[in-house]
Amino acid sequence: MNIDEVKVCILRMEGTNCEQETFDAFSRLGASPEFVHLKQLEGRDTIVGEKRNLEDYQILMFPGGFSAGDYIRAGAIFAARLKSSIKDDIIKFIEDGKAIGGFCNGFQIMVELGILPAFDCTLSEHPQAVLHANDSGKFECRPTVLRHESSGKCIWTSQLEKGDLRYIPSAHAEGKFMLPHESQEKEDELYHRLFDEGRIVFRYSDPNGDVDASYPYNPNGSRFNIAGITNEMGTVFGMMPHPERVFFRNTQPDWYRRKIGPEEGDGRIVFRSVLDHITKKF
Amino acid sequence: MDISNLFKDLDLSAPVRQIKILNASDEELMAVSDQLAIGLSIEEMVRVRDYFESEKREPNDIELEALGQAWSEHCCYKSSKYFMKKAFLGIDTDYIMIKNEDAGVVEFDEDHAYVVGLESHNHPSAIGPYGGSATGVGGIIRDVLCMGAQPIAVIDPLFFGPLDTPINAVPDGINHPKFIFDGVIAGIRDYGNRIGIPTVAGMVNFHPGYTGNPLVNVGCVGIGKKEDMIHSRVGGKGEIYILAGGRTGRDGIHGVTFASADLSADSEEKDRGSVQLGDPITKEPLIHSCLEMNQKKLLGGMKDLGGGGLSCVSGEMALDGGFGAIIDLEKLPLKEEGLAPWEIWVSESQERMMVSVKPENVKDVLHIFNKWDVEAIVVGRVVDGKRVTVNWNGEMILDLDLDFFTAGPEYCRIYESRKINREIEEEPFPKPDRSGFESSLLRLLASPNICSKEHVFRMYDHEVRARTIIKPAVGQPFTPGPSDAAVIKPLEHSNKGVAITADVNPYFCELDPFRGALSALEESLRNLVATGAKPHSITDCLNFGNPEKPDRLGDFEQACEAIGEFARSFQVPVVSGNVSLYNESDVGKVPPTPTIMMVGLIDDVNDATTSDLKKEGNMIYMLGKTFNEMGGTAYYREAGTECSCVPDVDLKISSKTMDAVLDLNKQQLLRSVHDLSEGGLGVALSEMCIGGHIGAEVNINEIGMDAGSALRDDIKLFSESNSRYIIEVQLQDALKVEDELSRFGVPYYKIGTVGGGNFKVTNGENILLDIPIDILDHTWRNGLGDLMEGSE
Repeated sequence: MNIDEVKVCILRMEGTNCEQETFDAFSRLGASPEFVHLKQLEGRDTIVGEKRNLEDYQILMFPGGFSAGDYIRAGAIFAARLKSSIKDDIIKFIEDGKAIGGFCNGFQIMVELGILPAFDCTLSEHPQAVLHANDSGKFECRPTVLRHESSGKCIWTSQLEKGDLRYIPSAHAEGKFMLPHESQEKEDELYHRLFDEGRIVFRYSDPNGDVDASYPYNPNGSRFNIAGITNEMGTVFGMMPHPERVFFRNTQPDWYRRKIGPEEGDGRIVFRSVLDHITKKF
Repeated sequence: MDISNLFKDLDLSAPVRQIKILNASDEELMAVSDQLAIGLSIEEMVRVRDYFESEKREPNDIELEALGQAWSEHCCYKSSKYFMKKAFLGIDTDYIMIKNEDAGVVEFDEDHAYVVGLESHNHPSAIGPYGGSATGVGGIIRDVLCMGAQPIAVIDPLFFGPLDTPINAVPDGINHPKFIFDGVIAGIRDYGNRIGIPTVAGMVNFHPGYTGNPLVNVGCVGIGKKEDMIHSRVGGKGEIYILAGGRTGRDGIHGVTFASADLSADSEEKDRGSVQLGDPITKEPLIHSCLEMNQKKLLGGMKDLGGGGLSCVSGEMALDGGFGAIIDLEKLPLKEEGLAPWEIWVSESQERMMVSVKPENVKDVLHIFNKWDVEAIVVGRVVDGKRVTVNWNGEMILDLDLDFFTAGPEYCRIYESRKINREIEEEPFPKPDRSGFESSLLRLLASPNICSKEHVFRMYDHEVRARTIIKPAVGQPFTPGPSDAAVIKPLEHSNKGVAITADVNPYFCELDPFRGALSALEESLRNLVATGAKPHSITDCLNFGNPEKPDRLGDFEQACEAIGEFARSFQVPVVSGNVSLYNESDVGKVPPTPTIMMVGLIDDVNDATTSDLKKEGNMIYMLGKTFNEMGGTAYYREAGTECSCVPDVDLKISSKTMDAVLDLNKQQLLRSVHDLSEGGLGVALSEMCIGGHIGAEVNINEIGMDAGSALRDDIKLFSESNSRYIIEVQLQDALKVEDELSRFGVPYYKIGTVGGGNFKVTNGENILLDIPIDILDHTWRNGLGDLMEGSE
């Protein structure tokens, strides 16, 4: 399909607030994003012309923010509402090979919803991972360097090489990625699966590519510096940092230190990659 | 005195009391004012009595409550307006679109306007720091929103007592500065982050004068199409009032009268109900829905409910449109049962917005609110005749003439200007040796007012909306230095930017309110100019003590005069502002604090320049003259030396230097620029080295040679004289830059070069300083953290 035919559902509810910049990122590349309120998918309080069906879109985006205030646990309320209303639509969407992405609060929602990491299923009944409160105990808004770990599996980063470094900033209070600890053995096995299946997409690193680097390079204390993961199909992708914030060079943290160079920011490739994949596949 | 005989319960379906004042004595009138806690003076109560005499009836409690709110200092600026009118309110330029409403509306480009407002939330933050600061952010965002603009940036200048104040030095009933500091920052963090508006700039200042009364000033900038800018007034007769957002409760009752009195030891107990509660997750959809219905042209007018609540809003909106209003008060959704009508009428519960809508658009407006799950209800209508009427189940309980109701008194109270001693002592203390220079610089870098504020701004999302081009930190991503101003690119299809900064040095203001205020303005200007932006508008928040005391009012008058002088000289208008008086407690008044927020414009955000040193071998110049005017400077304070001669401002030099820096920046001849402020040249260069993580070597011998008598080296290094900048220039551009500076008539000194791993300063003969960057960085970066830990 042509890029302008790619419909992107930018899903929002009260408290999602990175939707404009997420919308802009798709729009600038020629796709057709649309703001869709959760109630429009649920068909609640809508008048003629406002109801939307998920199946009409090729990409579903969970923008960052503080959906419903994040008052219980980040993303928990949004996920609960999705599960109770359009769970089957989401499963079908994923099984059709369509793309779902989430940044920051979007990633938290996806984990709460059970579509990441989704071991041995499309959508797990209970969350299989957690994005826990940062080790610092604080909200952290700071630059982060990400090392790309995937070798082409994830459709959202297919245009990045393994080992590429990207400056993509973080801003969250709950971003420490952890898998459940039933026993040391089981926990290790789950991390191994993520690594072995190529599902770790980004890890926090220092500017030299060291992915064992600690705070502030790893802003939240994530195990193995994990910043973003994908599902088994490579189509569902969540990350804590915000690629939509560095679509252009002049929002990178130190762009003015080298005033020459391409105008493309480090986050744009994420949007380019997924659009490239969708236009080829559908 | 017992005045219960003056109160009579009316036989109505709601609890309303009539208060018999027509025949009351002066003593009884004051007792009524005290008992209702409406804060009206005897002269004002007499005016009220005369009014009801002409109406030939006794007032109800809800009417006196309404007047108490409307005539409070906070709502009608009765003590301050005279001085502001005299000094600066009349200064206009052709690019101001709306002023004297909730926020100023100023032209941004041909099709767009920016909107700017700055408010104080001082007393609520003293009592409930978390709720007080959060609702401060909420309130100023609503002020910008109700002009029809999308909020794009929050700015928060904050003032606290020293974090290491001993517990026993904090008076009874007052929270410790550390508790207030933590709470205020957490409130801004949780509210600002949740509504998705970046907190991009501000300041954190510590001074013992704020121990009893912290200052929390919050500013907001918004952007919108000119055609979408909307007035805070009704559009016409027959329009329907719709109240949307949060429910009404007992929180925030008497907030404005509380803001218009000194804090006291029992404030915490007595006034807790005056602090509102914020709810960002009601606010965020309120922003979306209000902007959507405004862009669809469904609104006649829009105004946020702030001080004085529904009472002030329904009256002012109607009167400003030339009409009256009828309100059906029983319709308001409440947080709790059992509120008396007067409480509902004056409650300042948060997250509420009033829109005035033509009858045919009511359905569409209610649907948009419903879509966002925002509660909205029809509460009244606009009618002919300048009166506001309140009904409860059809029974009239309030009926006031709007001209009388909203025209609060205006006073020119007695004020006393102080005499300023500008004499200086040539040798106030022995000259330091090399180790003295080094320890002085490190002490300054670690001091709470100079050290890195990363502890604070990393907790604020300063990048949401993805349009923050210059952030609070600049330089190497993991070891940045401070930025002079934030730069935002508000529009998708234009590279034009707004630069925002806020400043004031209370240490100057307490010694010399006039020069202190002028310095605040000039420093704000320098911050903008250093990033490459031209100053465009001023917004002020004037925080002072009790205006009924002539010396406090004298300070206020002097600050107003300084603002007027600056605004006239630069033709940069004051487009909105706020006055907060009665900032006093049992331990005294706050230092005069005229907070200045200045907005500048830059044609292309890609031309913005930052303070971090860029490259080995580049030349370093200092622009502007250095004087021995050390009063209030960080260096003298560290040394414990008293001097009342604070830095002066020469507006002509200031203007020339501004023009030169902007011109050089436009030509892209400047690799870095930093303004000189607290801690002077020594601190400014340290910050530039820290941000670039590279050293510098400078010789300060030439500085001040033209001042008549030679300056001491420590004065050269730590003077805080205004109108000075450091610039970094590539070698091949040096001659061109020098030519341009001469052409503009700006004094400049070639002081050194970028390079190495140390910050090294000589006076031509001796080495004064030679410190590794890592030590400067560590000292500056951990200053606040060390202090926080030390005071646990």
